[in-house]
Amino acid sequence: MNFKSKHQTIFLDPNSQVALSLQAKEKLNVVLSPSLYWVQRVSLPVKYVRDVKKLLPSLFEDILPEGSYSYSAYKSDDEFYIFAYEDKVILDTLTKQGANVALVANVYFAQSELSGISQSKIVSQEESLYLKDGLLTMVPRSWVESNETLNLKDIELSKHSITLQQFGHIVDNKSLYKIAAVVLVISLLILSEYIITSQKVSDIQNAKEKLFTKYKLKSTMFQNEAMFKKYNFIHTKQMNLRKTVATLLALKLNSNEKISILELKNARLNVVFSGVSKGQEFRIKKALKLKGIAFKDSFKAGSWHLEIVL
Amino acid sequence: MNRINPLYVGLLLILFVVFLAFRLGSIKSDLVEAKEEYAKISKLAVNLSALKSTYADRKKLTNSLRRILALSAVRQANIIKNEKKSNVKLSSQSMDKKALNVLMGKLLNSSYNITSMKIKKLSKDRVSFKMEIKW
Repeated sequence: MNFKSKHQTIFLDPNSQVALSLQAKEKLNVVLSPSLYWVQRVSLPVKYVRDVKKLLPSLFEDILPEGSYSYSAYKSDDEFYIFAYEDKVILDTLTKQGANVALVANVYFAQSELSGISQSKIVSQEESLYLKDGLLTMVPRSWVESNETLNLKDIELSKHSITLQQFGHIVDNKSLYKIAAVVLVISLLILSEYIITSQKVSDIQNAKEKLFTKYKLKSTMFQNEAMFKKYNFIHTKQMNLRKTVATLLALKLNSNEKISILELKNARLNVVFSGVSKGQEFRIKKALKLKGIAFKDSFKAGSWHLEIVL
Repeated sequence: MNRINPLYVGLLLILFVVFLAFRLGSIKSDLVEAKEEYAKISKLAVNLSALKSTYADRKKLTNSLRRILALSAVRQANIIKNEKKSNVKLSSQSMDKKALNVLMGKLLNSSYNITSMKIKKLSKDRVSFKMEIKW
């Protein structure tokens, strides 16, 4: 079953003055007039079409006028038919003649599809298709004597279709591949950096868990911080106690002055001095102030009482 | 024939790169946060561990206290030791000042959590002594 034959087939010629009769929303097969491409029949010392394709730009180098060309080739017997065409020109012609580019199913060269015609076919009021030495060309209708009109309804289309580069004039394929390659490299770099960074984050999380195990920390930071606060408070108080006791023991007292009681209760250090008469305590108070120790003092029952908040 | 405009493909690729860059920025920020948090926890863990070992290691504290009380200068002061689960109370009705000096020197130079204490002069050479240490 040939599905291609289900589509309407049209002959696209840029010199045709008649608009194409198209059925709306129906897919199209387009046969390009020889006016829309350059063709050569060549014998080359290569076996496959893929080898020829690499050579196409150089084979057409000296023939083609300035433009953005695409190339195609197929093999017939021992010879290759090679083509050069401008996608934009073909697309513009299609649009100009009322065809919706989106509805174009396949595009063929007249050379590959119509080379079996008998010498000439009338294409329009002005032009005829003419076969000479196996190559199809467009000639003025008056040059050839033929009454046969080109009929595309019964032709069987070949496999030599081409795909038009709709946006080739914006960015050519090579540039597109280069840009895509650069973007891909950038993406890979970013991706690898992302993976490395994720790994680092994961390593830190593992190290954090090990830290919790090693130091037997509580499960939440809130608990640990509260515990640290508690022990740090104890540490500060104990340091203050030792510092204050050391200061008290280092006081230069007169021979009759003694510390009779030293009591620590509720983070308060109470010191009772005996033998210190009123006015004599000034010397001790000065020494304590010099050490930055805050205190309250009073005389009770002939003794001097000192209260220091740690 | 209905092909995708390469400009759309380019735009899509650029959006993809922008998305990746955004994700990278986000994970970098996570890394900075994780590093800061690790440094904070590490510092807290070291300090907390040191403080706990100093003030809350009952076994270590009781061993050290036993050694102090076993000193010959202190032993003769007949200090009564009353050890409980969370604290220890030391007391002596009467001890000489030499023993007090040795005992206080050792206790204050070590890291005990002294919560209460009372030293009262009884005579020229003797004092009464009470102390509570918690862990």
